[in-house]
Amino acid sequence: MNRRTYEEVAVGEELPALPIPLTRTLIVATAIASRDYQDVHHDPGLAVERGSKDIFMNILTTNGLVDRYVTEWAGPAAVVKAIRIRLGVPNHPGDTMTLTGTVTAKHDEDRRVEIAVRGENGLGAHVTGTVVVRLPSKVAT
Amino acid sequence: MSRLSGAAAVAGIGATEFSKDSGRSELRLACEAVLAAIADAGLKPSDVDGMVTFTADTNAEIHVARTTGMGDLTFFSRIPHGGGAACGTVQQAALAVATGVADVVVCYRAFNERSGVRYGLGQADRPVETAADIGADGAAYAWLNPFGLSTPAQWVAMFARRYMHEYGATSEDFGRVAVVDRKHAANNPAAWFYQRPITLEDHQASRWIAEPLHLLDCCQETDGGQALVVVSAERARDLPHPPAVILGAAQGSGDDQHMMTSYYRPRITGIPEMGLVGLQLYAQSGLGPADMDAAILYDHFTPLVLPQLEELGFCAPGEAKDFVAEGNLELGGRLPFNTHGGQLGEAYLHGMNGIAEAVRLVRGTSVNQPEGVRNVIVTAGTGVPTSGLVLGAGR
Amino acid sequence: MTAYEDFAGREIVPLREGPDPVNVPMIRHWAEAMGDRNPVHLDDDAARAAGRPGIVAPASMTQAWTMRGYAASITGSGAGPGAEELNALLEKDGYTSVVATDSEFEFHRELVVGDRVNVREVVESISPEKSTALGVGRFVTTVRTYTDQDGEVVAVQRWRLLRFRPKAPSPEKRAPKALRPRPAVNRDNAFWFEAAREHRLVVQRCSGCGTLRHPPGPCCPHCGSFEWDVAEASGRGQVYSFVVAHHPRHPAFEYPLIVAVVELDEGTRLITNLVGVEPGEVEIGMPVVLDWLDADPDLSLPVFRPQEND
Repeated sequence: MNRRTYEEVAVGEELPALPIPLTRTLIVATAIASRDYQDVHHDPGLAVERGSKDIFMNILTTNGLVDRYVTEWAGPAAVVKAIRIRLGVPNHPGDTMTLTGTVTAKHDEDRRVEIAVRGENGLGAHVTGTVVVRLPSKVAT
Repeated sequence: MSRLSGAAAVAGIGATEFSKDSGRSELRLACEAVLAAIADAGLKPSDVDGMVTFTADTNAEIHVARTTGMGDLTFFSRIPHGGGAACGTVQQAALAVATGVADVVVCYRAFNERSGVRYGLGQADRPVETAADIGADGAAYAWLNPFGLSTPAQWVAMFARRYMHEYGATSEDFGRVAVVDRKHAANNPAAWFYQRPITLEDHQASRWIAEPLHLLDCCQETDGGQALVVVSAERARDLPHPPAVILGAAQGSGDDQHMMTSYYRPRITGIPEMGLVGLQLYAQSGLGPADMDAAILYDHFTPLVLPQLEELGFCAPGEAKDFVAEGNLELGGRLPFNTHGGQLGEAYLHGMNGIAEAVRLVRGTSVNQPEGVRNVIVTAGTGVPTSGLVLGAGR
Repeated sequence: MTAYEDFAGREIVPLREGPDPVNVPMIRHWAEAMGDRNPVHLDDDAARAAGRPGIVAPASMTQAWTMRGYAASITGSGAGPGAEELNALLEKDGYTSVVATDSEFEFHRELVVGDRVNVREVVESISPEKSTALGVGRFVTTVRTYTDQDGEVVAVQRWRLLRFRPKAPSPEKRAPKALRPRPAVNRDNAFWFEAAREHRLVVQRCSGCGTLRHPPGPCCPHCGSFEWDVAEASGRGQVYSFVVAHHPRHPAFEYPLIVAVVELDEGTRLITNLVGVEPGEVEIGMPVVLDWLDADPDLSLPVFRPQEND
């Protein structure tokens, strides 16, 4: 795993893209892991009745995946300070969501780094948002 | 005994290799198999004056005859209904020889069934003609395709489920048929599954195709060709191999017969058309089930082997599962079965390769030759109008 | 002021304790599902090496500690009096569907094993009715405050849901990738498919001897008559046999696909599909009743579903 320090991160740096295959099992397993039993996240028939074309990923999972994406890049010393996301098109089974990210700001006073994240699937942007992490300093590590 | 019994014999057999991609035209496969069979009979192409194949075959007799240099033909015929035709081609040949309309008749079947048009993929996308000119065969698919019942495995699965329900048979009972086939194929260098036996556990673990059928309940798909040469029994005695005398040769289409989907009969656990074939075979030959020393039973799908054993009198209805489980189909058993490996193990040649194996059993040259074989019963496709043979060493 | 505007500023979920303290098994379950391999969530030593007092939960998991879980999703109770009142109002107006659109989390501290997580929720605003891609609805924005066992705030989340009336699914949208195979219709069987388009299940009946027959044909095998009419089937029957198709797959169908032979109370059998039942639940002899499948504008087919016990 990476162990990024505040100093070695520059505004404009791009995170490596992370494609996530959206299997039906992933969508159901993550919904259950987040204790979300809403039928639209596991029951295709009811999802259709409620106006969706199939089951879709719950927002807690989108939060979780965005969190994982940024902390995988930042390393275990990073502390997540904020996750702000807006959902667009749904994540349906059979698609792939590719997460990308760019460092957009740095705050020297508390070593916070802001990363703009975006997750695109075959239908368009599923998620856009910002993750803020506090990174260790070079001196401390 | 009928006048047909004993009149004719199979004097030659010939085949191509059995593969998944022949790399050759279907006509070439047919010619290779036909020439091999003629040579095996110790004859020349110009000796041939009759030909019989399946309506399903793409190789019209004129192309095969012209290409192999047969010259004049006085008899040509074709049998419909897919794999049900197999033994029917030999019956046609025997009838022609017995009545003197032909002296040397070649029966053949050749296709690129794996690399070309695969029957296993089903009929769902068969073109639908306009109402004015659509025939009864085409219209019959109207009851199947819109509901997604379009493959041979699915059609057979419907019978299998009912058979299980009425007789308490299980998937393992079907699996034992596949295990015997593959055991025999494992000894047969010509078999696709040579040296690749399976266990009942393999069968149970194989994926679903159409429940209750697993993958290993379904025969393979094959590219290849198989031919047989039929002459009079008298002439056969002067040819190189011991003759496989045609003691019985019968066709059967049952009451309320459909193609693979005779689901509307009072009961669907039996195969009445096969029962009809069996009665004729025994009546023609003057033999009975007890006289049969081996059986080549059509095995495109394992479940329909069981009711064949019942229809042909080897056991009572519903008891085939016990007959099989007791080991009767093994080489040392009461009725050694599909000694070539069957269509599951050797090749899917629409039943024609099974007839060739019956000839080898009578000659005593099978790779899995049991002791003291005199008479062998052979069947053709199940679920369709079908046919059967009894071949023997003769008198 | 509408009833919706009245909700602004109201606490709809009073302080509620999450059912379980922060614990490793639930973190492991989450990390596995998310594919999160960050060792600070599962390995005490690695967490200490990364400057933590011990294992810490993923920040994004904060909300999960307060989810009410499966039992509450069945009973529907316990959401909180204000939340239930708001739900009732939304349901009354037909906003029966819900989708989350925004989540803005600020984390005050990381959660460690043993922490209790409590939540209270206050409505910030409810939008006027808006037209969205999903249907007409209202955005409900709330603020959830997460506190620990000492009453200290651990995270704050602005949370927005769209409550909406689902659009009636359009036939194009619901159509599968391919049409079902067309029936091969000719002069002998067309009447049956034409009746099916009118949602009538008919059985051919000989005018000579009254015998019902299916599949139909031009001539009666019992009396030889070419005259016939049709009987309307009661739509009741039982499963005579069935197949669960897996391979090969035709794009018009969902697999595993149940194809059955149903024996009608009238005595004839037909090939059909079973709906409203799982493959593992089908049994030979199961009573079934007629339903209609409008597969596409040109094709309606009789299908059967299990008869309800009454």
